[in-house]
Amino acid sequence: MPADVAQVDDVAAGPAAPDVLGGPARDLTAATIGHSTARRRWGLAGQYGVLIALALVVLLPIVFTLLQALSPPFRYLRAGKPLHPVAVDWKDRTWLSGGAASVAARTLIVAALLAWVQLRAAGGRALHPAPLASPRRIAAVVAGVVVLAVLAGRIWAASLARADSTPWWWLAAIVAVALTQYLGFADRHPGWRGWLRAGLVGVALTTFVVVAFGASVWSRGWDQGDLGSALGRSFVVSVLITVAQVVTSILAAYAFAFLRFPFKPLVFAFFMGTMLLPLEVTLLANVQTIRELGWINSNTGLVLPFAATAFGTFLIRQGFRGVPPEIQDATRLDGYGHMAFLWRFAVPLTRPVIASFTVIAALGAWNQYLWPQAVIDDSRYQTAQIRLKTIVGAELANANVGVAAALIVALPVVLLLIAFQRQIIRGLTAGAVKG
Amino acid sequence: MNRSSRRRYSPRELGLAALLLAPSIAVFVAFFYRPFLNLAYWGTFESRRNGAYFERVGLAQYREELASDDFREGLWHSVQFVLYTVPPGLILGVLLAVSAHRRLRGIKVFQAIFSSTLASSVAVTSVVFLYLFNPQVGLIATDWLNDPGMAMFAVSLSSIWQNMGLAFVIVLAGLQAVPDEVMEAATLDGYGAARRLLRITIPLISPVLLFLLVVLVIHGLQAFAQIDIITGGGPVGATETMVFKINRLNRPDNIGIGAVYSVGLFFITLAVTAMQFVILERRVHYAR
Repeated sequence: MPADVAQVDDVAAGPAAPDVLGGPARDLTAATIGHSTARRRWGLAGQYGVLIALALVVLLPIVFTLLQALSPPFRYLRAGKPLHPVAVDWKDRTWLSGGAASVAARTLIVAALLAWVQLRAAGGRALHPAPLASPRRIAAVVAGVVVLAVLAGRIWAASLARADSTPWWWLAAIVAVALTQYLGFADRHPGWRGWLRAGLVGVALTTFVVVAFGASVWSRGWDQGDLGSALGRSFVVSVLITVAQVVTSILAAYAFAFLRFPFKPLVFAFFMGTMLLPLEVTLLANVQTIRELGWINSNTGLVLPFAATAFGTFLIRQGFRGVPPEIQDATRLDGYGHMAFLWRFAVPLTRPVIASFTVIAALGAWNQYLWPQAVIDDSRYQTAQIRLKTIVGAELANANVGVAAALIVALPVVLLLIAFQRQIIRGLTAGAVKG
Repeated sequence: MNRSSRRRYSPRELGLAALLLAPSIAVFVAFFYRPFLNLAYWGTFESRRNGAYFERVGLAQYREELASDDFREGLWHSVQFVLYTVPPGLILGVLLAVSAHRRLRGIKVFQAIFSSTLASSVAVTSVVFLYLFNPQVGLIATDWLNDPGMAMFAVSLSSIWQNMGLAFVIVLAGLQAVPDEVMEAATLDGYGAARRLLRITIPLISPVLLFLLVVLVIHGLQAFAQIDIITGGGPVGATETMVFKINRLNRPDNIGIGAVYSVGLFFITLAVTAMQFVILERRVHYAR
């Protein structure tokens, strides 16, 4: 089938359908160069159409959950205006209520966000950001904070009263924020592009401020689920597991990669064999062990069974094998011992692999569920993940509190994913693709 | 290795190796091998009521319990869960990755969105879907969670959504490893989009798809949190999978049966993992 027939078929079948099956970078391949721009535009629109449709499928549960967190509890749903989502009860009705620390934190967060917007969006290029120390930009940041502080209070008050003026206060806040921000970067982006950026910033910041600082559901989820202690416990346990796994894996991997000892293949098989014994299989006997040792409801019981992993040892050994033997020989001649070679050369040289494994280990430790619920029987000692079940059971009528707690528990992982996206992806795909 | 290096082991190196391996070996013995051997042994004892009464029954208990309706039911529910979650996981993974593997403006945004479900733990996802299925306020306001025929399907929807990020990331990594020239050559040869996908893309990334298949099957067999949170095993035990039943038997008076179930789960996992090794073997040959 000649290429242009395929193209015609694609267009005839509608813009969206065929591009699901399209290969990568179709618009850049040689075969499409001779085609009319109209067809290419349709192809491009189709590709974006498919991407947007798929993105909606992925995002739908997230968006719905956010809306649900911001909705009133069940019993208020049918009263009055049910789809006034954020009009539950507000803890802070003005910017200045809620204590000095809370006000200071809110102001600092908004100021930092605005400064970031001014630096990046205004400067345009990541490498050459616009200097913040220009009077226009400082004025934009300060004015943005003041506008948001004043108008967010009006939006909260109107939402609480379920007043018809609520959308107008939203509009006023968005326009006011956009105006202040346009002031800051009009010199770099004059005209409609600047206004578009300013408008997007206005929508995003207003939504963020109103939702994150206004909705009392976050603090209710936090207080009623006693999430502080659960998150603290999850944090401590995750850090301990991660550190233990990384250290034991590095040590064992070093022995396998750089030391000579008898029965090495056998010992390695002993390590890899543990992959056949997942926690689900050994659960009952491990709980018994922990019970006999008196470690029920203790951090030791949560950490110790995960203090070593075959996967980490394998991954880091692969990394160590990439260290050129010449380096080892040279360091030996220079009089470095094994430990000096390990910490000064082998570990720094395999840092990407170790970083990937560290993030994956932290992610796994934070998300644990089966083991904590088996060895914790006192709700005071629950980790965040198993606390969620308790909260959902207790707040069955308050969907907003339940999902708010779930979103709070997910937040650290979201931040981890944003900060270490590359390491996580490399770790997850370590077994899939060679290299 | 050259011959000259095959001298006797130096005692210092031996000592160091023992020292470095000791922490891992201690954990593996204490929490992997010893508990498994214990379970295999406990499976030959019948336990009653308060756990004080143990009677040695030998392999009879294995024969009896592995053939029992309860075990078969758990196995069937696990298989059901795998059947519901794995094929959609593979299809969605390919769909997302093929759509997002292009040079377009803003493609990074879409890639970030597609991998975003990685940030959601099983427990968080389960809470989200528990309310999603709520008959009063849910988006999918149905009575599925009270319908024995639909409850497992509802639970697996949460896992399908959660696995999307992982499947996308793995398939995309596979696609990125395929040289661009192969695709361009196929396009120049006049392959249409559908033929290109079925005849070239999928065969080229088949090792990655097999890897994903095994990962998804193992995840499916080990599913627990989503069932514990969304249905609690109900309605009328319709979502009690293997791991759920094992966890429920976590009491001294049931330890004998629980041990038999655990050993059963081990052999099922072993079969899947053996498949994985065969696949890895194939991948190595393929890459040559």
